Amino acid sequence: MSRRLQGFVTLLLCSACAALPAAAHHSFAAQYDRTKSITLKGTVTKLEWMNPHIYFHIDVKDGERVVNWAIEGGAPSMLYRNGWRIDSLKTGDQVTVDGWLAKDGTNLANMRTVTLADGKTVFGASSGGDSK
Amino acid sequence: MKLTLVALAVLLVTQTTPPARPNLAGTWRNQYTPNLAEVLGKEPPYTPLGAERWRTVDTAKDPTGFCLPPGPSRAFTSPFPFILMQQGDMISFLFEYQTIWRVVYMDGRSHPKDIADYPDFMGHSIGRWEGETLVVDTVGLNERSWLDTAGHEHSPKLRLTERIRKIENDKLEYTATFDDPVFFTRPWSITRTFTRFDDSKDRIMPYTCTENNRDVEHLKPNQPNLNYKYEPEKP
Repeated sequence: MSRRLQGFVTLLLCSACAALPAAAHHSFAAQYDRTKSITLKGTVTKLEWMNPHIYFHIDVKDGERVVNWAIEGGAPSMLYRNGWRIDSLKTGDQVTVDGWLAKDGTNLANMRTVTLADGKTVFGASSGGDSK
Repeated sequence: MKLTLVALAVLLVTQTTPPARPNLAGTWRNQYTPNLAEVLGKEPPYTPLGAERWRTVDTAKDPTGFCLPPGPSRAFTSPFPFILMQQGDMISFLFEYQTIWRVVYMDGRSHPKDIADYPDFMGHSIGRWEGETLVVDTVGLNERSWLDTAGHEHSPKLRLTERIRKIENDKLEYTATFDDPVFFTRPWSITRTFTRFDDSKDRIMPYTCTENNRDVEHLKPNQPNLNYKYEPEKP
């Protein structure tokens, strides 16, 4: 990750993250590191409203270069019941994602909050928060 | 003579009419419980083998992470609703989570004699009524299923007894008792509450786990949550 990309990506150590919404599919901590928070700003390129958890992808600018990140969210039915729909997030939307980094070092994060350019948030439910 | 006939008719009706059973049918919402030790406030009463398995379980190997069926207790503690169907000599559970079902035979049959040779992730279930309570007896549980997301495991010797009764019109009480002499020194139980799910405003939705299970390629070895105490029992 270059210095310029670090301007967009803030890596924080989080020693006492708040309890999260839930998933049952598998252990959150087998995939993500709760001690490594990340903030990403980018443009939505794709939404996968599919089971077992939704994913969306964002292009994050790194100077002239663009890095594509995958962001994981909750199960579609849980999101739906919380009022979110398949068009709640659209290709081209500018978003700020706060989340947790994947343990395997890939460009993957689990969302905690997703904020649109107008300040509204979408997809309140993370797939995190189950027992370690 | 007439009086005798009437008495006989009454006797016949009372003997052939089954007692009215509570109607548990409907769509219900689970009480999400990813770690059964949270309900107990401590770890279950392990045998030495059970304790060792808990200490060393790798939660990256969670069977449902690979889209295998969740097993009965986990299906009833997931954050997704289910339908309870009550028809004739059969009760069925249709779970949104993992799009899976269970059948409980209520016709008085026994478990198949060869069930241990053909275990299933959801087990084989027979049921009976004890007053107002539905009692479900399940054996033949595939040892690859887990009891919860936290990673509590079991052996093929697990016998699961579930008791379900209506405590209010819109609430069911669910008690699961885990009897597994390989993993636990004695049976132990948890109690949860199911609340009625409003079908008029919501619906059972898809959960086809293999649709886009990207997670599996990112899982890394991970130890379980050891926050809860395990207190070995004195001999």
